[in-house]
Amino acid sequence: MRAPASPALEGFVAAVLADDGTAGWTRAVPPRVAALLDALPAPARLAVRAAAAAVDTYAVARTGRRLSALGPTARQQVMASLASRRALLPLLDAVKVPVMLAAGTERTMHHDAAPPPSAPKDPPLDCTPSAHWPTRSTADAVVVGSGAGGAMAARTLAAAGLSVVVVEEGEHHTTASFARRPPLDRFIDLYRDGGATIAVGNPPLVLPVGRAVGGTTVVNSGTCYRPPDHVVDRWLSHYGFAAAEGFDSPLDEVERALRVARQPLDVLGDNGLLALAGAEQLGWAAAPLRRNAPGCRGSCQCVVGCPTGAKQSVQLSVLPEACAAGARIVTGARVRRVLTDRDGPRGPRAAGVLARRPDGSELEILSPLVVVAAGALHTPPLLRRSGLGGHPRLGRNLSVHPAISVAGRFSRPVSGGRGVLQSVGVEHLRAEGILIEATAAPPGMSSFVLPGVGRELRREIERTERLATLGAMIADRPSGRVLGSDRILLRYDLAERDAGRLLRAQRAMGRVLFAAGAEEVLTGVPHAPRARTPAQLEALLDTVSARRLHVSAFHPTGTAAAGADPERSPADPQGRLRGVHGVLIADGSLLPSCPEVNPQLSIMAAALAVARRFVTGS
Amino acid sequence: MSPRGTVFRETMLGRVRLAGEENDRPVRLDLVARADRVLLPHRTTRARLTGRIRIAGRADDSGIEGELEISPLARRRIRYRAGFDLDGRRLLLDGWKSVSFTRPLTSMTVLPYTLYEDGARAGAGTLRFPLATGLLPFLAGFRFPRTAVPADGPDPAPRWDGRPGRTEVWYTTLTDPATGTGVWLHHEVVAPSDGSPAYAHGWAALFPEDGPVQHARFGPTPWTAQSHGFRTEDARALPGRLTGSAGPFRWALSEEPQGPPLYTFPRWSWRHPWLPAAHLLPAARAHYTGTVRHGTGELRLTDAPGASARIYGHGNARRWAWLHADLGGGDVLEIVAAVSMRRGLDGLPPLVFLRLRHHGRTWPRRAERSAVGWAGMGRFRADIGLPRWRVGGRAGLQRIRVTVTQPPERTLALDYTDPDGSAAVCRNSERADAEVHLERWRGGWRTQALWRLSGTAHAEVGER
Repeated sequence: MRAPASPALEGFVAAVLADDGTAGWTRAVPPRVAALLDALPAPARLAVRAAAAAVDTYAVARTGRRLSALGPTARQQVMASLASRRALLPLLDAVKVPVMLAAGTERTMHHDAAPPPSAPKDPPLDCTPSAHWPTRSTADAVVVGSGAGGAMAARTLAAAGLSVVVVEEGEHHTTASFARRPPLDRFIDLYRDGGATIAVGNPPLVLPVGRAVGGTTVVNSGTCYRPPDHVVDRWLSHYGFAAAEGFDSPLDEVERALRVARQPLDVLGDNGLLALAGAEQLGWAAAPLRRNAPGCRGSCQCVVGCPTGAKQSVQLSVLPEACAAGARIVTGARVRRVLTDRDGPRGPRAAGVLARRPDGSELEILSPLVVVAAGALHTPPLLRRSGLGGHPRLGRNLSVHPAISVAGRFSRPVSGGRGVLQSVGVEHLRAEGILIEATAAPPGMSSFVLPGVGRELRREIERTERLATLGAMIADRPSGRVLGSDRILLRYDLAERDAGRLLRAQRAMGRVLFAAGAEEVLTGVPHAPRARTPAQLEALLDTVSARRLHVSAFHPTGTAAAGADPERSPADPQGRLRGVHGVLIADGSLLPSCPEVNPQLSIMAAALAVARRFVTGS
Repeated sequence: MSPRGTVFRETMLGRVRLAGEENDRPVRLDLVARADRVLLPHRTTRARLTGRIRIAGRADDSGIEGELEISPLARRRIRYRAGFDLDGRRLLLDGWKSVSFTRPLTSMTVLPYTLYEDGARAGAGTLRFPLATGLLPFLAGFRFPRTAVPADGPDPAPRWDGRPGRTEVWYTTLTDPATGTGVWLHHEVVAPSDGSPAYAHGWAALFPEDGPVQHARFGPTPWTAQSHGFRTEDARALPGRLTGSAGPFRWALSEEPQGPPLYTFPRWSWRHPWLPAAHLLPAARAHYTGTVRHGTGELRLTDAPGASARIYGHGNARRWAWLHADLGGGDVLEIVAAVSMRRGLDGLPPLVFLRLRHHGRTWPRRAERSAVGWAGMGRFRADIGLPRWRVGGRAGLQRIRVTVTQPPERTLALDYTDPDGSAAVCRNSERADAEVHLERWRGGWRTQALWRLSGTAHAEVGER
């Protein structure tokens, strides 16, 4: 059901999109924006609605009439007047993102009503909605979270003969359900906070994380990098993360489970081919990425759930094996607390978990082992809620991959919604901590913030098929912190070194796009949006600081890091939380420092190593 | 470890949805929980569960058995696990109350549970403790009975620690069921108040049915420290074994305890000798087997009922009366009524310590109850005299009247000497008569039990 859009929102959408009533698809955009806003956390929702109301008020002050009552020309004048104020540009950029997403979706559905792809049947999972799970139950091990780490831990423990219950806050989505629904609807369901998890800082970061059976692996791009040797060496020698000893063995097993292979060129798509061509022109090393998507058909929808079942997210690969070994999954249950018995002979000991169903009722599962794999952003608050957050470093040491994207306009359509979403890695600058990955957007869901409002934006939207996008992520210094216990507050202060890396990445991506033949490069910077030549781009970027970039962030890690130093590491070298018996950490929060590449393999291998060591008692 | 346990009853009502059924069924669970230690909220207490479960239309099993883990603070959990039969299947009920300080009432009264059969779920439901109707009976039903009876009763080592002005006694009285003969073996250590060395002495006395009372003394001999019981050249009174000789008497008896200890005085008074004296029976009843020779005669005993007792204190009372009555069927009555020698206390009426072990329970529950009542109100009363003395009193809904008769021909008079050198006369009979009348209030006093002992009661009266 769609929420009806308020008049202020309708007028605002019409003004942002320069809706003159000639295109049929624009009518459906306001309700879709309203539905998208409903999925956002309350502060973001209120901010967008307040911004829409403010623009409406501005229109009344300027013209005496509300935006919805104005004609297209008058609306355009109002928006042009607003856009002429440079200080307002970042704000306009922020509030127009939901409008762009909704508009892109409606336009795609209107123009390209392709039949849904045939979806294969998923491997069976033993999922029980929390409403049907008994209020009191027991298990040998409870795994909190079914993402990369949780799934791997569950599989290992179940294979060792333990009765395992995986408690997942999100729901189970099948490949068939992905195939049936438009990307934006899936986006709302699959991401926590409607994808608008924000880290406060300068600049603020958008840090989307998944919430479903399979965790973020359902919505990641499927890129599978092994952690670089120097990173693993540092984990071992500098941090004393003993579970990373012989890390090749768990990495090999994870790659087998995910069926990781280099992406063939046949379905790579223009976005990736252009990146390869650009890099070749520059003489830079680039290659199709290694991915966990054998038989990928190039639907370009990885980040909203693969509709063809090619991407081996853990709910298609690892969790079915765990369930075959006896593990059970409870869906729609948010773990509130890890229960502890505080009168044990050797200090407090985990006793199970208390979880809340969507209707507010609670269920408890008793088990002597609790594996916390709620993700680097939610493991610290869960431990704090449980009275286990006493370690001063818990929640600190947050590493992310700050990322920016740059788009190049070509003379021909290059992103017709086909191809691999994240296809090619340009590794020329990896030594500098910069990894460029050709990353297209799902149909109608460009995450790249197009410049302008009103007619300028509309023009850009009409020409999105000609845009190729590159993304770059940088290896950061751990500069973030997860605060809070019930509601989280993320704090991330971009380090000076990392700001420089972002700017270098921006230039490098522009060079690749120009080398590939782009007519124009869109920087995503509000006051310096486009450059037509490499020289112009260089000059333009000289005026830009990292604070003005639209920075997203991915791959949070390190908030309950494992290590030998009890002062510095909340978890011990085996991944056991210090200060309590029977709690294992098995998610990204375990990694002592930034893995410098897409971390799925690292997290899964670490979880596997930790669970294996628990099982073997070593 | 605490010598006390906890027993309480709990009834909960609720519903269950059995696997494969469409509708809930009413459930009633009546439980008795028994723990081996005192239930304290800050620690985890485990208890055994027994009771009855009724599931409307499906089960009524009085044999539910399981365990209870009570940990409202340390683990914030009260967990019930109990097995029962349902249509020939064995089901396990597993559930727990999850204590929350924000919702104390709900969390302490609601018990969600799951039923399992061979590890597979067979149903689920919720039970509730009915606060309005159940709280008072629940609280009133808490009991903290003594548990963990040490196999050998109190420490068998002598209680005397070398202080002057103390006396310690081991004595045994028994009745030969074959001949009706009573036997009294008395072993005593006296540490004079003037600091002179402690000495041991004693006597043996025989109360034949068809002849005069005979007795002979042994000792005194110097007392040397012992690790177990009473041991001199003449006589030994050790746990399980009594041997010795005195004049024409020679005895060798084995002792077999038949029950837990009985503390005639408050238990604390044995550990902390704050009262003028303390009296206890290491075993409330015992059987004696062996021989007692007296000159040319010999008494052969086989499982002769009787009891051994120990006394430790400052000396004899100003006036006292004592009764040990084996009432049969495992029941025992022990009475000590005494007037203290201490100044200020010597003007009080006799303090009565009456302990009736009946059907395995000791009444009154506290030894202090019969002696001092409630600040003197309701204390038991004694009328000490000869040849007949009486004790009576009421505690709770029960009252008792005891009449003891010591015919002079069956009574032996002996001189006692206290540690301070003062003398007393004890008139003892191991062939006394007694009548014990136990009544219970049921709208009027109704007789609950009436025992008449003819020649098998052991009693004495002491005077100055």
